[in-house]
Amino acid sequence: MSPVVRIARREALEMWRDGRLVAAALIALALLATAFAIDWQRQQTYEIERRAAQALDYDTWLKQSDRHPHDAAHQGMHVFKPLPALASIDPGITPYAGSTIWLQAHRQSEMRFRAVQDATGLQRFGNLSVAWVLQVLAPLIVIVLGFNMLSGEREQGTLKQTLSLGVRLRDIVFGKALALVSAITLLLSPALIALIVAVATSERASDDGLRAVALAASYAAYFAIAVAVVLAISALARSSRASIAWLLALWIVGVTLLPRAAADLARELYRSPSRAEFSKALDGELSAAHEAAWKREFSTTKRWGTELPLARWGEALRLDDRVGYEVMDKHFAALWQSFADQQHAQALAGTATPILALRKASMSLAGTDFASHRHFAQAAERHRRTMQDIISEDLVHHADPRGAGHFDYQANHDLWEKIPPFNYAPPNMATAIKEAGISLSALALNLAFAFCFLAFALRYRARRLL
Amino acid sequence: MLETRSLCKRFGETLALDRVSLSVKPGEIYCLLGANGDGKTTLINVFLGFLTSDGGEALVDGLDVARNSLATKARLAYIPEQVMLYGALTGIENLRYFAALATGTEPSATDAERLLTAAGLDAAATRRRVATYSKGMRQKVGIAVAMAKGARALLLDEPTSGLDPKAAAEFSQLLRRSRDEGVAILATTHDLFHAKQTGSRIGIMRQGSLVEEVSAADLSHADLEALYLEHMR
Ligand SMILES: Nc1ncnc2c1ncn2[C@@H]1O[C@H](COP(=O)(O)OP(=O)(O)OP(=O)(O)O)[C@@H](O)[C@H]1O
Ligand SMILES: [Mg+2]
Repeated sequence: MSPVVRIARREALEMWRDGRLVAAALIALALLATAFAIDWQRQQTYEIERRAAQALDYDTWLKQSDRHPHDAAHQGMHVFKPLPALASIDPGITPYAGSTIWLQAHRQSEMRFRAVQDATGLQRFGNLSVAWVLQVLAPLIVIVLGFNMLSGEREQGTLKQTLSLGVRLRDIVFGKALALVSAITLLLSPALIALIVAVATSERASDDGLRAVALAASYAAYFAIAVAVVLAISALARSSRASIAWLLALWIVGVTLLPRAAADLARELYRSPSRAEFSKALDGELSAAHEAAWKREFSTTKRWGTELPLARWGEALRLDDRVGYEVMDKHFAALWQSFADQQHAQALAGTATPILALRKASMSLAGTDFASHRHFAQAAERHRRTMQDIISEDLVHHADPRGAGHFDYQANHDLWEKIPPFNYAPPNMATAIKEAGISLSALALNLAFAFCFLAFALRYRARRLL
Repeated sequence: MLETRSLCKRFGETLALDRVSLSVKPGEIYCLLGANGDGKTTLINVFLGFLTSDGGEALVDGLDVARNSLATKARLAYIPEQVMLYGALTGIENLRYFAALATGTEPSATDAERLLTAAGLDAAATRRRVATYSKGMRQKVGIAVAMAKGARALLLDEPTSGLDPKAAAEFSQLLRRSRDEGVAILATTHDLFHAKQTGSRIGIMRQGSLVEEVSAADLSHADLEALYLEHMR
């Protein structure tokens, strides 16, 4: 048996005997089990209800009575955002983003999106999730178990005694690292079980398994960073008291203050308009574009007035919609870009504090990040336009030729059937990995930093053993 | 086996070791005397590689400590003034752990108990957690670890401090047995009687310098005391 394993074994035995391991395990188990039970239950129920609602909504659409197509378009359809299986591990922005979009005539629904960056570490306590426990509390557990691993032995004199036997300082530190890693693997194993359950109970045929592996690897990297930093500080600190003080300060700054500051900074740098500002700007440009188009085609700026011959009503609808598409695309693209830029700025800030990198990577891999939400909203809007275009075409061909009798036209089941059901495929794993690219790189960079820091701490301590 | 050549160590202004040259041969017990702060512990720390010297060299078995710190430690066993152990582990567990790290093979529980009782620890105490041990009991575990290592040189920093007279006598007995097996022993002490009883040679340190070296056989306890006090004036 190598000295590393012997040291790790002794360390683990001590942790077990002094009760720290049991206490930490119970707390971790209680938090992880509660968080997962709630989120998993929520995800499962939501998915069952969503599938039922989506089917029912389309069924209602198909079974509507014969009527003027534009009336039908006003009533519209609803689409429901699927909740990926891994949302039970990391709900991401789910609690802050809408899940239902009403597809109706004329106007793209505003996507409800309260930025998740408003909620930093502790504020998200309200949304206890497995991801939150792992991101925010797990480092604290590593600190509690490891802050005195080296400083304590130095204070007690056992370090000197062990070294006098001819054991390398490096082996002592590796032994302790091994003990810490084993302990947190044990403590956080409920999270691993949760991950397996989430994937196993996933109903959609998807790449959830692969995502889970990538997710587990990202978290493992995060904990490795925590272990390396805790041991480095414990090696550098003059005393265990100094060690715990430094580590708690680091936790407060890294896990709560920096993410908050990064969010504020990102919002300042890439300002997104308020809901009112956005509506005002969009409405302004829409009516300008509409007026210009109506003036050109129908020699009037008054939309849907008596100046419009009923024989051209369907044509007008088609034009009105198409003009609107461009303007809405421009405004929504800008809005979404500002959110996306904020997200990327925060991912970049992940080079300064690994929790930001992990948070972004975790959401992306779980499929609950902003990009996934945007992907859904865009698919919904495409579906709305398909519906509008089919209806306008139908009006041009069947209602407009009736002239003054335009509104006597009633479409039937044959038209309703032409509108396809909303079949949505969420972005795949490759897209998620690409989206998480910056944050995964930031995480890797942090890992490299942490190992260098530990190596430095070891060299420093090796020269100042007394 | 243990040798220093003009060894110097400076802490800021204080010269803790001032050109110390001494040599301890296999089968010899060298007792180092000196007042508090005269550099005895510093000398031992240099031998262990915990301090780097500021001049001269320290050799273990002919190897320079500064350049072969692992190889030299492999030849040494060290018992400090206060043996520090893992309180949550029993005496046997502590011994097995340290012995395994020192030698690469873990002694069985029975061997461990034998080593501990040989060092003077009560058999019943070997199964108790070390947190409940007195200072002398810990010291005995330290002695057992050193014996388990089977080192060719022993570095003892006031090893008998805290041992009761009987245990101290037993310890001296152990040292003499090791000496007879060819182990080189360097021990610091404040106990002139102990030095005279067990030492083969006695050195006196004063403010970092080795000011006197005598053979223990050459003088009586009273002579040693007079000599010591002379240097400490
Ligand atoms: N790490 C250190 N930093 C600064 N000064 C030190 C350090 N270690 C020892 N000294 C100084 O070096 C001198 C020698 O100390 P040392 O511990 O070697 O004395 P000693 O002979 O072992 O004393 P004692 O009999 O009390 O154990 C003292 O003046 C002490 O203050
Ligand atoms: Mg001393």
